[in-house]
Amino acid sequence: MDSNIEKRLQNLRDRLAYISDIFAGKHRDNTNLLEEKLASFTERARTDSLEDPHAELATLEDLFTYVERRLEDCITPMDTVRIVRHPQRICLRDILENVYDNFTEVGGQDEYSLDPGMLIARAVITRRRGKKTYTQSVMVIGQEKGHGAEYRNGGSVKPWGNAKARQYMRVAETEGIPIHTYIFTPGSYPVEDYPGAAQQIARNIYCMAGLRVPVVAVISEGGSGGAEAIGLADRRLMLSHGYYSVISPEGAAAIEGHIKPGQRATQELIEQCAVNLKITAMDNLRFGYVDRVVQEPPLGARPWHFDFFRHLRQEVLRATDEVVLSTRLVPVLKGLALARVRNPEAKLDEMYTRWGLSGAAKDRLLAHRQQKFLRLSRLAARDRRPLFTKLAVALRDWASKPWVRFKYDFYRKHQRRIRTFMEELGNEWEVFKDRLLTPWRKLTRKLPANREDVGKTRELTALSNWSGAEQRKRWNYISPRYKTDRAITCPNSAAYGCLDLWGPDLFAEFAGVCSHCGYHFPMEPEWYVKNVFDLGSVFEFNSEIEAGNPLNFPGFDERIIDAQKKNKAKSGCMTFEARIDNIKLVVAMLMGTFRGGSVGAAEGFKFVEAAQRAEKNHYPFLAYVHGTAGIRIQEGTHGVIQMPRCTVAVRRYIESGGLYMVLYDTNSFAGPVASFLGCSPYQFAVRSSNIGFAGAGVIKETTGMDIPPKYHRSYRALSRGHIQGIWDRREIRANLKQALLTIGGRNLYYR
Amino acid sequence: MKDISALLEAIKAQPFRDIVISSPHTGTVTFADIRKGDKVLGPQGQWKEKPGTLIATLERERNPKPIYAAEKGELTSIHTELQGRFVEAGTPLAVLRHPLTRAEVESMLLRQALHLFLAPERAKYYFTPDVDKKIRASDAHSVLVREGMELLIMSRMKREVPLLYTGPAGIIYAVYFKYNENIDAGAPLLGVCPQDQLPTIQEVIMRVQTEWTEKD
Amino acid sequence: MVEKTQGLVPVNKHRILVANRGEIAMRIMRACHKLGCSFTAIYTAEDTASGHVRLAREMGGKNSLFRVSSYHDANELMAVADATGCTAVHPGYGFFAEDFRFARRVTKRDRQLIFIGPSWKIIRELGDKINTKRLARSLDVPTVPGSDRPIYDELEAERIAKTVFAFQEQQGIDHPLVLVKASAGGGGMGIEEVYDPDQFRSVYRRIRNYALRQFKDEGVLIEQRITDFNHLEVQIVSDRSGRSPVHFGTRNCSIQSTGRQKRLEVAPGFAADTLTYTFDADRVLRDIVDYSLAMARKVGYDNVGTWEWIVTRKGDPFLMEVNTRIQVENGVSARISRVRGQGDIDLIAEQIRIGLGEPLGYGQADVTFDGLGIEYRIIAEDPNNNFTPWVGLIERFTWKPQPWLSVLTHVPANEPYEIPTEFDPNLALAIVWGKDLKEASARGQEFLRDLQLNGHNAAGQPLQSNVDFLKASTERILRF
Repeated sequence: MDSNIEKRLQNLRDRLAYISDIFAGKHRDNTNLLEEKLASFTERARTDSLEDPHAELATLEDLFTYVERRLEDCITPMDTVRIVRHPQRICLRDILENVYDNFTEVGGQDEYSLDPGMLIARAVITRRRGKKTYTQSVMVIGQEKGHGAEYRNGGSVKPWGNAKARQYMRVAETEGIPIHTYIFTPGSYPVEDYPGAAQQIARNIYCMAGLRVPVVAVISEGGSGGAEAIGLADRRLMLSHGYYSVISPEGAAAIEGHIKPGQRATQELIEQCAVNLKITAMDNLRFGYVDRVVQEPPLGARPWHFDFFRHLRQEVLRATDEVVLSTRLVPVLKGLALARVRNPEAKLDEMYTRWGLSGAAKDRLLAHRQQKFLRLSRLAARDRRPLFTKLAVALRDWASKPWVRFKYDFYRKHQRRIRTFMEELGNEWEVFKDRLLTPWRKLTRKLPANREDVGKTRELTALSNWSGAEQRKRWNYISPRYKTDRAITCPNSAAYGCLDLWGPDLFAEFAGVCSHCGYHFPMEPEWYVKNVFDLGSVFEFNSEIEAGNPLNFPGFDERIIDAQKKNKAKSGCMTFEARIDNIKLVVAMLMGTFRGGSVGAAEGFKFVEAAQRAEKNHYPFLAYVHGTAGIRIQEGTHGVIQMPRCTVAVRRYIESGGLYMVLYDTNSFAGPVASFLGCSPYQFAVRSSNIGFAGAGVIKETTGMDIPPKYHRSYRALSRGHIQGIWDRREIRANLKQALLTIGGRNLYYR
Repeated sequence: MKDISALLEAIKAQPFRDIVISSPHTGTVTFADIRKGDKVLGPQGQWKEKPGTLIATLERERNPKPIYAAEKGELTSIHTELQGRFVEAGTPLAVLRHPLTRAEVESMLLRQALHLFLAPERAKYYFTPDVDKKIRASDAHSVLVREGMELLIMSRMKREVPLLYTGPAGIIYAVYFKYNENIDAGAPLLGVCPQDQLPTIQEVIMRVQTEWTEKD
Repeated sequence: MVEKTQGLVPVNKHRILVANRGEIAMRIMRACHKLGCSFTAIYTAEDTASGHVRLAREMGGKNSLFRVSSYHDANELMAVADATGCTAVHPGYGFFAEDFRFARRVTKRDRQLIFIGPSWKIIRELGDKINTKRLARSLDVPTVPGSDRPIYDELEAERIAKTVFAFQEQQGIDHPLVLVKASAGGGGMGIEEVYDPDQFRSVYRRIRNYALRQFKDEGVLIEQRITDFNHLEVQIVSDRSGRSPVHFGTRNCSIQSTGRQKRLEVAPGFAADTLTYTFDADRVLRDIVDYSLAMARKVGYDNVGTWEWIVTRKGDPFLMEVNTRIQVENGVSARISRVRGQGDIDLIAEQIRIGLGEPLGYGQADVTFDGLGIEYRIIAEDPNNNFTPWVGLIERFTWKPQPWLSVLTHVPANEPYEIPTEFDPNLALAIVWGKDLKEASARGQEFLRDLQLNGHNAAGQPLQSNVDFLKASTERILRF
């Protein structure tokens, strides 16, 4: 047998194995047929009984291609999951070798890397216009699965791997070259070692929300937080056989099926979850979370699909050109140029668009990117505000702008000048008065001061006026649990010897704090609303924006309605204006009692609105996280997209001069912490809270590690530098005021 | 090391100890589904984070509190007559025959080999805050003690007196007192291993490791 | 809480939980016995040999004794109370006696009990020192000169301190002292003396910062520090109506250990008939009684309580605090009191009776006083070494019975007793009566001379006690 035939046979064997793997035993008749034909051909080739081996092999190959085409139509969402996880799936190195013209890896080599799961390379693309050649540089960043090489960890990137990615994004920004990111990750590696999975992803997303170079992302396997760590891009392409999801279908099935550790969900449930989560490229294109789908060969691209790489190259070039061209100013020229690159027939290798941007163009680039993300997913939440309210809000926005401008840009400046003037005037007056009164004082000093002494003695022995007497602490709200006459055991009792607490004391006077060791029992969201802010100062807005079921996830409507009834709230995020000692601020509160405080489209919508309101009114912005379990998985990518979206809103707020603080309570995990919460420069936690990326169960499942019992305690987050302080619940109000005064500065808003 | 050998033989002759499981406080007892002769487990997991087998539930002031087996072993008696009854604090509920583990045999032998720092008075003992912090952060082995060091606080008669360490310098190898528990005068508080005796200690440990087989 | 007299459960239908140990538990049990009501006592493993355990076994029937894990665990007390059908709780002194939360729990829980003590609101109100001081001032009751509210402003603080210094100079005090203390503090934490007005500012700032760190409240109190004074008390008794409080005279508790623990108490507070004072002693006693009653009336005080006073060498009384409980030394007041001519008063029995809702049944006019009482607290300790407690085994503890003597102790007389290390080290209270100071002192000395108290500790050293200290102190009783 000649080696060429042997090679092609090996290829067919691989293809056969691939088919049976990705369909996980489905379509057995097809694989049996191919197996039979392949076996008989091999047998005959071995015995040299073939008349025309090349022709027969070609026929066999055609048969394979035919079967693959036919099976292409039967691919289910779960099959795509198996496709992207298959070792034969193209990986980032294949793309670097075949899509780009040359490259140098800069983020380490093979296993000798800070994190072999994250690959970073400087790559060049050579384009030709007429006789002239142009070489364009890009920074390529992406997860490397390495065809199943174990040290790549399946593209599950550790915190320091994401930190490396962020470092090179910054390099690209300095160098002014576009960034191409390739997302090949089932999710981030959920360990909390420094800098911490959640904290680092948050930093990455925050960084990308303001990167001043074009960013194009290509999604093959978009696993939630890990994907977002390099996914906030101007253009997001998605490979047709990829998936982009909030959670792996197995993870979703484990939650939906209430699977206990050690058990496994059934295959049907997993398949069903994959369908329900709407994870395919076409789904995400329809939602608007990816801009374009790059068609792959039947059953998904593998390294020998050279046509596919050419196609991908065209798409990546087109996307980069589009991003660059859309920052152009002159409308006609911009339109023409965009039309030219958008033409599907265009040969982009023979066209040239400069990828460098001027300063102003960078501003426009950034504005486009931010607006793009802010617009996403608005329809996935149910906006029940009456039309009139919406119009009124729009009108007020429009009308208040000039007033706010006047107030802050003009009046404040003048006010300062006036004050200075008045102070100086006052000083002069004092000096003058002093001189005038000196002779009189000399006289009076000599007089005996008997009367004064009697008054003074009285002051020491008689009742004084004390306005603060009434103020001595009473809570404005106490947990209704105080009504139950029962004892409660502190979870720390074994370690600290705490005696059982009496419920009515604990939940009323003690504010849920163990009087012996200081352990904080969780309290209701209302406790904070009523006890932290000035009484009667809380004004809620956007309460009509409702959490819904945008994916029509089976059975989820009822669960949302239950949560709404239980909490007397329409979504898990309450947004309000309030005052602390007359300092006004905007607060977004994620309520751990509303479906675990998970974040979906409605919560994201309200969070973004709150950030914008704070920006508009020049108020400090506080995210109080009563608890959040992460992104609401039943909303799929409608939920995931809130990570970049809300981070963009937060970044815009901070950059306009705002003070953004986050306060974590009870349990805060996953997506929100790894994005719009974790990106705050000022994060605090209430005692006894837990902060992290993934819970113990998920860590065990994804890494195989058992984690120590206190792994997610806020004290560890503090030691790691994730948060800046830990507060006693009873002192939140005082601490917040202190923070507002010290971090917020004199007028609490402008830096 | 001769006495160590003899001691080890003595322990081998009776390789278990009986643990009386008593009610930590008053309350109404409900026994778990356990029977005489049942094998029970102590705390499990890498950090002993999973509690042992449930023996009973003690409900007081509407607060049911589980009572778990603290060690593994076989239940040799259960006071089932107390089922559903209100009991005093410290009422025996069950007896557990616990086969000695390697670690326990080790600690019994170490009591012979280590320098024992004894309680001067019947009192409660605590580590000083500095030392306590260190121990909580890692473990007792990280604390090096030397003569005259302010190591413990002795609490009795509502008075707290600092207690200075006396004896050879070394690391704390074993802690024999518990939080909020009275220690009789003359009972050991700490087992300290002087640096130069580490090899001897290692040898004791080695012998236990090789000669002691744990029973289920 | 105020129950109507009609429909009142008769005293002998009640069962009292004796939520204490030692000597006071025994007194409460005896009082219950006297009143005909049943009781349930508690004890811990440490206290198995205590006299109160034995007495409970002897005197009580079924359900009269339960072992608990700790006297400090309210859940244990409530559980035992429910299991034994108790209807009321007597907290004694110490432990939960002045814990308004405990009193509140007892009365507000689903299965309500009577708290034998003032209502929880009164305990809370008078447990707060600032509040008590302001209440006193609102009634023109004299209090220690200084601020009666937390001071937050440095300028104001300095002004007050200056005035306090000036005030003392005006009074002719040689070494004026100002006390700066964290208003949210207590138990001796965050208190400092200032003797030099120039130092005030730095001390003030130190205390303020300490208070801010420790209590999250930077308020401080600034007061005169009084050094030369006698410690007096007024015993108040009032039924649940709270309308007609009666006093059972005054006590002088000036003889104390270095740690300000009382060691010897005398009733009445001064002996103006035999000793001479630099002030009108009778008037001072009258005044503090009147002031105490005025305050008791104002708050509607509804059980037994003690108003604590300091009296300066010039005879100025200042209210210190109110103890909303029965005190150790209540017996010495009872010893010299008569109601409608009847002696043998038991204030604990009175406390239980009125606590359960019975009206007091007599007025101030019915209460008379006779003679002088001395109470000795006999303690195993070393008065020469900072009153350090002595721990060990008591082998012999006997005294000669006398008609004028009563000894209260939980230490068994006929067998050795190991002193538990958990609790206050009181061994016994001895109350001696005499018709006047001279006779009482002589009898006191006689008692102390006859007292046998021996034992040894683990190291074989002999028992140390404060008997010699008490002998010496008897000589200076009631002398200012």
